[in-house]
Formats: sequence, C-alpha cells, structure tokens
Amino acid sequence: MRLLVVEDELDLLSVLVRAARKEGYAVDSAADGEEGLYKAQATDYDAIVLDMMLPRLEGWEVLARLRQTKATPVLILTARDRTADRVRGLDIGADDYVVKPFDLPELFARLRAIIRRGAHQTRAVLEVGEVRIDTAARTVTRQGQPVTLTAREYVVLEYLALHRGEVTSRTTLYEHLFDEDEATLSNILDVHIYNLRKKLGQDFIVTRRGHGYCIE
Amino acid sequence: MKRFQSIRWRLQIWYGLLLVAVLSGFGAAVYRVESERQFRRGDEELQRRLQVLAASRHPVPNARPPRQHFVLLPENTALFDQKGGAGFYYVVWLHGSDAPIRSTSAPPDVPMPEESASARTRVRGAFHEAFLIPAHGDCLLVGHPMARDRAEVHRLAWGLVVAGSAVLLFGLMGGAWLVHRALQPIRDISLAAQKVATGDLTQRIASSASGSELGQLVNVLNSTFARLDAAFTQQARFTADAAHELRTPVSVMLAQSQDGLASACENAEHREAFEASQRAAHRMRRLIDSLLELARLDAGQESPARQPCDLATIAADGLKLVRPMAAQHGIQIHAELVAAICPGDGDRLAQVVTNLLTNAVEYNHEGGEVHVSTRHDNGTVALVVRNTGPGIATEDLPRIFDRFYRADKARGSGAGHTGLGLAIVKAIVQSHGGSLHAASEAGQGATFTVTLPS
Repeated sequence: MRLLVVEDELDLLSVLVRAARKEGYAVDSAADGEEGLYKAQATDYDAIVLDMMLPRLEGWEVLARLRQTKATPVLILTARDRTADRVRGLDIGADDYVVKPFDLPELFARLRAIIRRGAHQTRAVLEVGEVRIDTAARTVTRQGQPVTLTAREYVVLEYLALHRGEVTSRTTLYEHLFDEDEATLSNILDVHIYNLRKKLGQDFIVTRRGHGYCIE
Repeated sequence: MKRFQSIRWRLQIWYGLLLVAVLSGFGAAVYRVESERQFRRGDEELQRRLQVLAASRHPVPNARPPRQHFVLLPENTALFDQKGGAGFYYVVWLHGSDAPIRSTSAPPDVPMPEESASARTRVRGAFHEAFLIPAHGDCLLVGHPMARDRAEVHRLAWGLVVAGSAVLLFGLMGGAWLVHRALQPIRDISLAAQKVATGDLTQRIASSASGSELGQLVNVLNSTFARLDAAFTQQARFTADAAHELRTPVSVMLAQSQDGLASACENAEHREAFEASQRAAHRMRRLIDSLLELARLDAGQESPARQPCDLATIAADGLKLVRPMAAQHGIQIHAELVAAICPGDGDRLAQVVTNLLTNAVEYNHEGGEVHVSTRHDNGTVALVVRNTGPGIATEDLPRIFDRFYRADKARGSGAGHTGLGLAIVKAIVQSHGGSLHAASEAGQGATFTVTLPS
C-alpha cells in the first residue's frame, strides 16, 4: 500500500511518514501543494493524506486538479473544522475529512476504510478460501491457524487480496510496495511471492505469464 | 406611579400647569377689564341722563318763595324705559318732598340719598344709581338694574372658560405631539442601547437629528458601540485564531506521542512520558474545540438553525449517553419528560443537555440521584437538571458560568474538564434567546434551569 502525505508542517509530516511506515505503508511525502499535485498525478497511490492550507498551491486546488485525472482516495487532514469547510472538501472530491488535532489510530482506520472502498471492498476482514486477512489487526490465519508473515509479505498479500480477481502487474506491485526513497532489487518481489505461496498454498497466488499476479 | 416619573409625563404635567396658569391669568384680566368697562359705560349712560334730568328741573316762574318744578320734554322720555323691566329709571325729589316724581319703571322704594354722601353714584342691591343734589332738599336720581350687564359679563366669563378650555385642550395635544417628537431620538437611543446591552453589538442608532444636541450624543454612543463591537470581534477572532493556530502543533504532539507509544512498549518510563504527553495533547484538543466553539458563539457566526425541537426528546437522547457513566458511580437517574417544543438548533441544544447531565453526574456523591424534567408554560419551555451532589457554595454561584472558573479547585483539571462546559451552555442558551439559572444550597445539591422561548 502506497501513501502520499502532503503536509507543510515538517514535524507533523515526519511523524506521519514514520507512523505510516510502521503501519506497513510505503510512504511518499510532499511539503507543498505543487509538489503534492505533481506526485499525486505521477503515481497511482492507494491513498493521499492532504492538508488544506499549503504553500504554493492550496489543498482545495490540489484536490480539484487531481480529480480531473485520478480517482485516488483522498483524506483531508486540516485545522479547518467548520462544517462549511468539511462540506466543501467532501464535495470537491475528498473521501474523508479529519480535523486536527487527530488521533493516529483513528487516522489509520480511516485510511484503511477509504483504501478498502477504493478497491470496492466493504469489510475489514478479507476472506479468500481458507485464508482470512484482518486488515485492521494486520494478521493472517489459514484454516484458523495464525500465519506469520513479514511486513512486506503481508503488504503484497493485502494488495492482491484487496484487488482480488484482478491481474496485478509486477510494475504496479512495485509501485504500491515501495516508496520513492527505497532502492529495490528487481527479484525481491519474486522472493515475497515464493514465501507467500509456501505459507498459504502453492495455488493461492496465480502467475499470469507476461501480465502479473492474481488471487482468484 | 412609575408613569409619572417619566420625562414625558413630567413635561406634560408642567406644561399643562403652565398653560392653565397663563390661560386663567389672561382670562381673569379680560374678565376684569370687560366688567369694569361695562360698569363705566353704565355710569356714562347714567351721567348723560342725569344731565337731561338736571336740564328738566326749572324754577316755577313768579313763584314765591321760589320753587322748582320738573318737566321732562317728550323727546327725552325715550331715554327712560317707561314700561318697567331692565331700562333706566329716574326719581326726582323736590324740596324734600316725600312723594318724589318717578318714572314708571323705577323700583317702588328708592331711598333718597344722603346729601353728605361723598360719591355721587351708588350700587344698591341689583341697581346702579347716580344722583345729583342741585340744592338742599332737591335730588335727581337715575338708575338702572344691573342684571342685564351682569348677565353679559357672565356670558363673557363662560365664553372665556370655554375658549380657554379649548385652547388648553389643543395646547395639551400640541404639547404631547411636541414632547413625543422631541423624545423620539431618546427612544431610538434607548432601543438601540438595549439591543447592544443584550448582545447585538452590530446595532447602531439611526441618527435622525444629527445636527442637534442629541445628534452629538448619538454620534458619541455610536462610536462607543462601534469600539465595543470591534473589541468583541477582535477578542472572538483572537480566540478563534489562537485556537486554530494551536491545532497543528497539538497535532504534532498528539501524533508524536501516539507514534512513540506504539513503539516504546518495552520501556515503562518512556511509555509513561508518552502517555502523559498524549493526555496533555488530548486535553489541549478539548480546550481548542471548546474555545473555538465559544468564539463562534460569541461572534454569532453560526446563527442557529431554527427548527422545532422537542426538549424531551433531546433530554432522552442525552440520558442514553450519560446512563453508563451514571451507572459506574451508582447514580440513579429520574426523568420526568413532558413534550416541550421550541424553535432551536437541535445539535446545540443536545450539547446543552449533555453538558448539564454530565456535570450533574460528575459533581455528585457516589450513589446519588439526578432528576431531569422538562415542562412547557405559556410561551416558554424549560429543562431542569437537579442532582443530590455537594452543591455549589453561595460565593461560587454567580461565577460558575464564567470561562475557566472552577468552583471546586481541588478537583482540578485531571478529570478532563476544560472549565468551559457551563460557559458553552450559557452561550448556546443565550444565542437561543433563553436564560440559564443555577440554584444551590451547599450540601443540598444543585439545580440548573434552562428556559427557552417556545
């Protein structure tokens, strides 16, 4: 899962990025509106956390322009708490609106919710055959038995499970698993897929030659 | 007798009295002058006739001793009324005779005037008489009854009274109009000042008389109101801005402490530090929210959406929220809810109810009671929240709605109180045009009554 956090208060930006990485997200950051818009348009993020009062380009404007090309889920995180502002933000195309100061657990729960909705899922617990993925607790069970996954493995699994039935290309997976700062080895994905198959069953993840991976 | 203390009535009364004094003085003068003129004219008439009488007294030719006789020429008889009634009459005494010569209209018993009388006229009963004593024993007297003159003077007096009353009436009416007009700017001023006093700081006095003395007062007051308004707006804006500016730093603190808590599980000391920071940040967040809320209510930005709300329903909803907390402390809640519908903002009123109920539960003894009731009287609805807690000390009562005022200093802020709850309640109630009242006797619990116009 890849996130973009657009926030001009650097202390807040850094803690958001740090906390989100701990939650298993690949996180990009932007400290002003222009940079934020550029990144949001260039990459398919799973969700964007967007401040409203930004230098260079206001959050409203970023959101309005982004919505012309992309449907990326956007969570507005702002100090503006008036009802009129919330209404305006949601009407421009935001998927959620959180007023500062906020609680981190709530923020992440809301992020999970908008990512889920973006993938047309409604429940926090995904069930694929005998495998059960609890996206809130980030735990996986197979036939009721807990399965231990590394953070990366979990993320690959969660992404494929959320987009169940769709073929996900390696590029897409890379894009959603690693942020802009990470140097990635080209075969690391194969290692994760191999491990997941070992833990959850050989047929759990299907490979479509030349296209990508899929959970059916 | 409050009415007679008003400037308007006092002005009217003084003005009326003055008018009455002037009119009656004038009337009395006119009456007096006119009656004197009447009398003098009568006197002149009498003197003229007396001349005729004097010319009609002739010596009898060749009489020894010389005698006088009285012959009134026919052309002069018209001067005297011969038929009786109100006309002039004469009585002539010659040589001290007991049988005077008299006109037919003369009253029967006219006494002969004293020769020594200094004045040559007299008023005898209803008659006015003038006389001449040409020689000892002779006397010529002319008189006429004054009834007609008096009647005329009376008519004049009545005329004066009627005219005076009419003038007085018109004068009073005109005066009332003038006073009303003169006091209009004062009424405008007091109306505007009243509105300002009740919190509508945007009110200004329409200055209709800007050139007059009141115009200056109006200008002074208007500029005072403007400064007051600016000061309040500034204060509200400052509070809002300050609270707003705090949102981001508090976000940083909250996020950092929560992020720290998520990773510092193993070190108890660090955990404690992060937990303390998180509690402080949470408290700051509540403060910020409350301050912003108050600032908004102060600025009157959000004119409450006026929809029919039922206080009973709102109170019932509020009770659902508070019951778990009450149950924790073993507090019994008794509700007596009667439909009480008033126009208002349901969310805000719900906040009023929740704040009051939470207070009633929190400031209560373990196992105490909370009584909630709603009612509607004519034109108002009321919500009463009463508890059996330790109550509020008399010296604290007037201040408990002040911002950041804590009646119970010992309780401090640990329990998550911002010290703004009751201030918010008051602001909301006032924005609805209602009133909030607290009553308590130490040790006997406290009663909060919210009254709203229905």
